[in-house]
Amino acid sequence: MRNTTKREKSAPRYINRELSWLEFNRRVLEEGQNKNVPLMERLKFLAITGSNFDEFFMVRVATIRRQLLMKQRTACPSGMTPRQQLDQIHSVAAEITDSMYRTLVEDIFPQLSDAGLQYCAPEKWTVQHREFIHRYFRDEVEPLLTPVRVTFPDIDDVPSDVSYPVPNLRLHVAVLLRENQLQDIPLSGSEQPSKKQSSPDEGAPEMPGALEQVALVQVPPKLKQMIMLPQGKQEHRQFTFLEDVVALEVGRLFPGYEVLEQCLFRLTRDADMGIDEERDEDFLEAMEQLLDSRQRSGAVRLVVDRKSKRLRRRLTDLFQLSKQEVYATSSPVDPAVLMDLAMTDGFEHLRNEPWRPIQPPAIDPELPVWQSLDDADVMVHYPYESMDTVLRFLNEAAEDPDTLVIKITLYRTSAQSPVVRALERAAEAGKQVTVLVEVKARFDEERNITVIERLERAGAIVVHGVARLKVHAKALLVIRRNFGAIRRYVYVSTGNFNERTAALYGDIGMFSSREELCHEVGLFFNSVTGYSVIPGLRHLVMAPQQLRTRFIEMIQREERRVEETGHGLIMAKMNSLADPQIIDALYHASSRGVQILLNIRGICMLIPGIPGVSEHIRVVSIVDRYLEHGRIFYFHNGKSPEIWIGSADWMPRNLDRRVELLIPVDNVEIFHELKSFLEMCFADTVKARWLDNEGRWKPVHPTKKQPPVRLQEEMHRLAVARAAIREPENRERFHVRRRGEGIE
Amino acid sequence: MAVSSKSKKKKKKTGSESSAPRLVSVIDIGSTAIRLVIAEITGSSSWNTLDRAVQPISLGRDVFLRGNLSPESIREGVAILERFREMLAGWAIPPADVRVIATAAVREARNRDIFIDRVMVRTGFRVNVVAGIEESHLTYLAVQHALAELKPQFARSRAMILEVGGGTTELMLLNRGRMVASHNLDIGTLRVEKQVLKFAGTSLDNSHIEQFLRENIRVSRDSLNTDVELDRIRFFVAVGGYVRIVAERVGKRAGERFSVIPRKTFAEFLEILRTHSTEEVVRTFRLTWTEAEGLFPSLVILNLFLEATTAEELIVPDVSIREGVLLDFTVDPGLRLRREFTRQVVGAALALGRKYRFDEAHAGAVTSLALQLFDQLIPEHGLDSHGRLLLEVAAMTHDIGYFVRPDGHHKHGQYILENSEIFGLSRIDLTIIGLLVRFHRGSSPSPTRGSLGPLRWSHRMMVLKLSAILRVADALDHGHLQRITTITIQREEHKMVIQTNAKTEISTERQGLEAKGGMFEEIFGYEVAVL
Repeated sequence: MRNTTKREKSAPRYINRELSWLEFNRRVLEEGQNKNVPLMERLKFLAITGSNFDEFFMVRVATIRRQLLMKQRTACPSGMTPRQQLDQIHSVAAEITDSMYRTLVEDIFPQLSDAGLQYCAPEKWTVQHREFIHRYFRDEVEPLLTPVRVTFPDIDDVPSDVSYPVPNLRLHVAVLLRENQLQDIPLSGSEQPSKKQSSPDEGAPEMPGALEQVALVQVPPKLKQMIMLPQGKQEHRQFTFLEDVVALEVGRLFPGYEVLEQCLFRLTRDADMGIDEERDEDFLEAMEQLLDSRQRSGAVRLVVDRKSKRLRRRLTDLFQLSKQEVYATSSPVDPAVLMDLAMTDGFEHLRNEPWRPIQPPAIDPELPVWQSLDDADVMVHYPYESMDTVLRFLNEAAEDPDTLVIKITLYRTSAQSPVVRALERAAEAGKQVTVLVEVKARFDEERNITVIERLERAGAIVVHGVARLKVHAKALLVIRRNFGAIRRYVYVSTGNFNERTAALYGDIGMFSSREELCHEVGLFFNSVTGYSVIPGLRHLVMAPQQLRTRFIEMIQREERRVEETGHGLIMAKMNSLADPQIIDALYHASSRGVQILLNIRGICMLIPGIPGVSEHIRVVSIVDRYLEHGRIFYFHNGKSPEIWIGSADWMPRNLDRRVELLIPVDNVEIFHELKSFLEMCFADTVKARWLDNEGRWKPVHPTKKQPPVRLQEEMHRLAVARAAIREPENRERFHVRRRGEGIE
Repeated sequence: MAVSSKSKKKKKKTGSESSAPRLVSVIDIGSTAIRLVIAEITGSSSWNTLDRAVQPISLGRDVFLRGNLSPESIREGVAILERFREMLAGWAIPPADVRVIATAAVREARNRDIFIDRVMVRTGFRVNVVAGIEESHLTYLAVQHALAELKPQFARSRAMILEVGGGTTELMLLNRGRMVASHNLDIGTLRVEKQVLKFAGTSLDNSHIEQFLRENIRVSRDSLNTDVELDRIRFFVAVGGYVRIVAERVGKRAGERFSVIPRKTFAEFLEILRTHSTEEVVRTFRLTWTEAEGLFPSLVILNLFLEATTAEELIVPDVSIREGVLLDFTVDPGLRLRREFTRQVVGAALALGRKYRFDEAHAGAVTSLALQLFDQLIPEHGLDSHGRLLLEVAAMTHDIGYFVRPDGHHKHGQYILENSEIFGLSRIDLTIIGLLVRFHRGSSPSPTRGSLGPLRWSHRMMVLKLSAILRVADALDHGHLQRITTITIQREEHKMVIQTNAKTEISTERQGLEAKGGMFEEIFGYEVAVL
């Protein structure tokens, strides 16, 4: 490792992880800027770009910021210090944010308006609008508002950000107030604006400067963030944002005060802490995290509109942020509302043509699912094929008196999920239902806790994860008695048991009744549910114990195959490639002549095309209407190729800190389908972006002669075609008349 | 792949049509771990392993170093068994089909009853503490099952079966497929630590361990040589987790249920362990700390026995004592294997007799006569096949006391037996056989006093009935001439008449019966006469 950092001084061997992620988010934004993409879909991409940033700042930027605060100077694998990384991140993130708002204001809003849906900013509101807004504010919004006064360190000599902890990511209006003479003071330092509480020391500032006060009002998150305005005579439908409404009407909350200035803002906090410790029973770990958390500073980013420089400065001070951590934007300050806008009824011509998910043709719709699994493995390719099969399989298992056991891992799910409901029913019906719910699944913790409570009430055995690791593997095991004999069925997927994401994410799921797989999935469950030590597996591979080593062994085996046969090929598809050990193994394999094709949607720290290092490696990213989410690995291995699918990316967190499963694809048909799917990933000419050796992602410029190839379109077309071919035979027949016979 | 899995399925389906397979489970409380296996008995001679679980626990360390199971270990053990019970509930296995066995660690723990009781109360599991010799028996059953394909080779040569555990080393010697000796040595990977510390007084490095083991095992090896010449052993079967670790890494699959490790490869592997620290072993071979610590002493013990033989390779079956217990579950093969087991026990008894230079012809004749009597008297004695086996061994060995002195040979015979090991027989079995030998002549035993006193009532009755039968059988070959070989009994009102196939004068035998038949009448209520 140290050697490589030395060598880096001449030429870096890895792209910085965070900068690579920012490039990914730029590719998402580029879809939002792509004029070939329907307008409503472009809005979605903009919303996603925004919410991606939220998560990125909460987790990644927060981590690096903490490194900096703790005076950690160790460089990342790409050789950048925390300071250098932060500087670059903010500069790129600001550029992307600006670009996003420019697209929205200059391109999308005008087009949307042409299409009949118009954003009406407060300055354009008509009298009629104002009346409507006023009533709406008074009836729906005002009762939910809770203004709070903010104390500032320089004035009141108390620690900042204490009197009111501004919640993470919530939209707020900040107002600068001046007391009108001879009026009562309606504000207190506490959360409830109550006149009683305005005790003299808080309410009656004696310092002359204290006549000006700052108050915050949270924009109610539960209300609709987009408000349709009354239509009147014009043909256009007009809308405005709740944030505009609150900003305009906020003065009403402060009788006796004059609103001098105001602005809308959102604070992003460090969320890479305080998530799982309380629920984790591992005392040591909780302790470590607690000690560590003292070093952490809360805020990492402030997004604020451009309406008040003074307030912006005061908020920046309040949250102890530096200038570069403050992002000035135009309306809407929270781009999440663009998703609501994209969901507005109607405007079908501005949307993607719907691609209805197909039922996997290998499953007989008239028989219980398990009956179709006895003879061969069955693959489900999401979202081209539907998750209904998995749900049906679960529901049947829940009701089937011959089912003994259902075991499942849940990573991201919800209490309303049909998966959870099926599990509840099964447990209530007396089956042994074992559910591993990963409490630590980031940003889904609360939802998962509700799920745990519901399942436990139903009588399921619920395991709340594993200490120090997150269980990321997606596996389902059903044990039933077929005519008295035990039969087992497994389903392993690259995606979660979540019907919502199954319609949006490109994933591969596989059913099998092969004994060796079922047995080992059973052992996997025994280890993650605390029945057994981590097993030695012959067919499956588990992280964190064996996975990295196995991947490296397979990469090295490919090198030997080049020596033996003159040919070596690796095709791998994943979300992110960020593991230096694996990247080094790939570099080495490339230098020995192994051809390496990588389809990586997000972060890629590997630099392709460096002479002598990675000239045989090519990296492509595809960002399209579905999120590419599958993890598929192909090794040519002389003449006995292997394909593996699993839940793990080639990232340190997947290989070291998560429990993951990798399973081999042995079924010949599935093998060929997956292989041609992989090949298609590298044939895309429409949505593909190829990474060059300077870290830039470049589109393909197809020659005029070639018909364009778009992976996701091809996959949809193939799924439809497959379903048509395997359509059950037509059982209808004509009623034929013959002499002497009646109608049959 | 697809083809092979399909053919497997077919096999299973035909199995399931005949009768619904039975689900059973074996839990084995060992020295370093508690293990569970769940299997589906698929009918004739096979089962499918459906589920497995292992939880490490240092029961052996507690017991072999301090003599007691620590309170923490007891708690931990109960917690593991509670989890296992939860697992079994999922499979809906009835309690009758769950066997929980405990080996050396629990067996030797001074507070084992407390542990067993706690387990019973908290989990409902009834722990069966397996005696050392039974452990050999179960291991033997499992090995025999795994190596079924090698049976013809075994039938022609000598073989050694060795299992090194945490507390004990089990060793069995076979000659032409027959068991000639079985020993349960007090040497184990966990025990060795304490012994070496006592012996070397200082540090615990590999050379001390090896030196200690070498000196100790030489003694056992020499005494074994009297049972069978070790240098003529061709088959060396190594059982257990440690040697399986080696087999998985450097062995070759040689059959459906076993691997082999060439002698040279084994030596090379051992050499690596000699020169590496435990930390390095953990890393290099990806083992847990406990596995890595036990690996070296276990392989040294194996190697010391291997050195004495001329075997070219180690045969490592994929089985353990758990499979032996599973075999007990399988109905048909169980019977077959039990017959095989009887053969092995009798073989061992025969070997013991030869060691003490008995009159083999007489012993054979008495055995045959005793068994004929036993079989024809079932309505009278009501004993089962185990009683029959004890009678067979007793008849075979009733005169071995002659080796010491003809005078009082029945008493000499008793203590020889009580201090011997016969494969497949437990301590109590040997005590009973010793008593049968003791009472095959001389005064008849008092049912309540003397040496029968400490026995359970059912065992006392067994001794009385079987010694009465043995006395009659011995009388029928009183002259050691084998004039009578076949008998039929006829019951008259208060009399039992024995018809014989004797072609010549049998006055000696008649005389003998007059002297020895009194006890028979006392016990069974018949006067005995020979026609």
